Amino acid sequence: MGSELAQLLVNGLVAGIVLAVPAIGFTAIYAVLRFPNFALASHATIGAFAGYVANATLGWPAWAAVSVAFVVAGIAGVVNDQLVLRPLRPAGALTTAIGAVALTIVLENVVRFVFGNDLRGYALPIRRDWQWAGIRIGPQQVENLAIAVAAMLAVFVFLGFTRTGKAMRAVADDPTLAGLKGIDAERVARLTSFGGMGLAGVGGMLLGLDTTIDPLTGFRVILSVFAAAVVGGLGSIPGAVVGALTIGVAEELSLISLAPAYRTAVGFVAILLVLTLRPRGLLGERAY
Amino acid sequence: MRQRGMILSRRALLGGAASAGVLASLAGVVRAQPAAIRLGTLNPLTGSGGSYGPSMRKAMEWVAQEVNAAGGVNGRQVQLFSEDDQTNPEAAVRAARKLIDIDKVAAVMGTWASAVTTAVAPLCWESKTFLTTVSGSDTITQLPHNGYLIRTQPNTHLQIGKLGEFLLSLRVKRVFTLAAQTPFAVPSQKRLQEILPRGGAETVGSVIYDKDKTTFRSEVDQALRAKPDMIYLNGYTPDCTILMKELFKAGYTGAKVAQGYAVNTKLLGQLPAEVTDGTYTATPSPAVESAGYRRLAKVLGTDDLDPYSCQCHDHISLVLLAVAHAKGEASGTAIRDHVRKISQGNGVKVDSAVEGLKLLAQGKDVNYEGASGSCDFTELGDILDCKIRFDQAQGGKFKFVKLI
Repeated sequence: MGSELAQLLVNGLVAGIVLAVPAIGFTAIYAVLRFPNFALASHATIGAFAGYVANATLGWPAWAAVSVAFVVAGIAGVVNDQLVLRPLRPAGALTTAIGAVALTIVLENVVRFVFGNDLRGYALPIRRDWQWAGIRIGPQQVENLAIAVAAMLAVFVFLGFTRTGKAMRAVADDPTLAGLKGIDAERVARLTSFGGMGLAGVGGMLLGLDTTIDPLTGFRVILSVFAAAVVGGLGSIPGAVVGALTIGVAEELSLISLAPAYRTAVGFVAILLVLTLRPRGLLGERAY
Repeated sequence: MRQRGMILSRRALLGGAASAGVLASLAGVVRAQPAAIRLGTLNPLTGSGGSYGPSMRKAMEWVAQEVNAAGGVNGRQVQLFSEDDQTNPEAAVRAARKLIDIDKVAAVMGTWASAVTTAVAPLCWESKTFLTTVSGSDTITQLPHNGYLIRTQPNTHLQIGKLGEFLLSLRVKRVFTLAAQTPFAVPSQKRLQEILPRGGAETVGSVIYDKDKTTFRSEVDQALRAKPDMIYLNGYTPDCTILMKELFKAGYTGAKVAQGYAVNTKLLGQLPAEVTDGTYTATPSPAVESAGYRRLAKVLGTDDLDPYSCQCHDHISLVLLAVAHAKGEASGTAIRDHVRKISQGNGVKVDSAVEGLKLLAQGKDVNYEGASGSCDFTELGDILDCKIRFDQAQGGKFKFVKLI
């Protein structure tokens, strides 16, 4: 039982840290643009496929392919935001969110049109897990962990220590005040779309590295991403990390008493509990 | 003003008379060309069945083309209305509503996933539309469908019975099942529990998982704790791909068996041979020796037809022959009442719709035996028998083991 629990915790932490990457993207976009951008699902897929082309077709190693996933998903994020979602923003958050759902379905089908429906796996060797004391962890998981942690550190350094990062936080805190200080809100919006969707792309690829990818890769994970962001506090970046770890561990630990088929329900229950007991999420909605 | 009004109304009268004449002559044209027979195809073009749907649809389109080129059914052309069920019950219900309510089809053909068929079937029997399916779950033919449903896929009882026999022939002792959450998950498990003890083996546990998850590490852990010497992967291709990787990573060295639609050549192409080597697959076997199979294989440009395309080829053939047998009445009820009169019995054996239609026109009886098999149905709509073919993955390719 002890080793079973430890194994579930390890699985949950690894799943949670990988989940945290797109969750940060989701919450950052919410913090600055003030709407839940569900188009993150298709951008995770776009990133996963961009990384796939770099890795499987061009033969790049996983860590280099991840940067391709970031850049391609980021550019797609800016273009789609400017063309589709920006004109909807004056109509309110709900309209924009609905537009984002529609956008994500269209983009998913574009990916399907280009790459087809087949499952694809990255060109990586499949290695046996390391085992000790009845607990196992895969070399690929450890690599994913390292990439996810590096991406998160980069985000925190960017937001904490660079001028642009500080401008972004200022807009998230109070757009009017930031405007008075001469910060260009539109530029910040574009940057946030780039960074947020880029992180979604990295998340999509990290999920695929350990499994496989297909046009529904992003769609499958969007509920957990949304749950992580809500549990941590929509708009709070450390909150997204805490939320993702909570969801990751809770989904795994639920297996002690629940059949695996009900695992997805954990995300829903977490959203309901948090919204009922602590509507602003575990860490509230301060961006940073 | 009054006079002008008179002129206008006279013009209107003339115009009206003229257009009435045109309409009448148009109606004559329409009468001269009998209305087409409207049939619907509902296949998984996307989702987890997405690798089968396109070729299933192509098989049906080809039969329709051939029949139309040979003069149609009792002089009526066949018109197909095609929808994607997305391997998703909700999308399938929307698509079926469109086929039934707007396109007014007499039959919906080719649903694949059991969950999709279960969702679509009530719409069909309530609207007296005939439904043909390739889904295997036992529960499907047990629905109160009043005869408006047949399937060409052997049901779980038949398939798992033969799988159990096969496992016993391998002398395995401890079988664990990892099953996707589907309507056939529990019936399969129960059937294995019935069969295995007869040969001294047992089921040591099962996990039903959510197939849309991207990782199954904990499920694999649960399976390995039961120390099985055979793991039955009862899911679809995407989840089986992940499960096979994770079983390998976890150091599992025992045997594996899966359904042929899940562990297929595409999956073998995705994974290194060391991960897939030794895995057995069970596939309802099409009638590979039949002329119908060879013709369809040529049309679809492959030597190795999947069973679903063969079955869909037979679905539309059976439906069209039933319509012809019903003296051209293209309704769900007519198809229901006549399908067994052309699929079984003492008539002349035929393996193509065109050939069967010719014989029916000459007043002869036919017994259709198609590309998928003998196509004989029970009262409930199940097929009477089907061979199951067992293969084993070796070096990234399938090697034939035996037919049961």
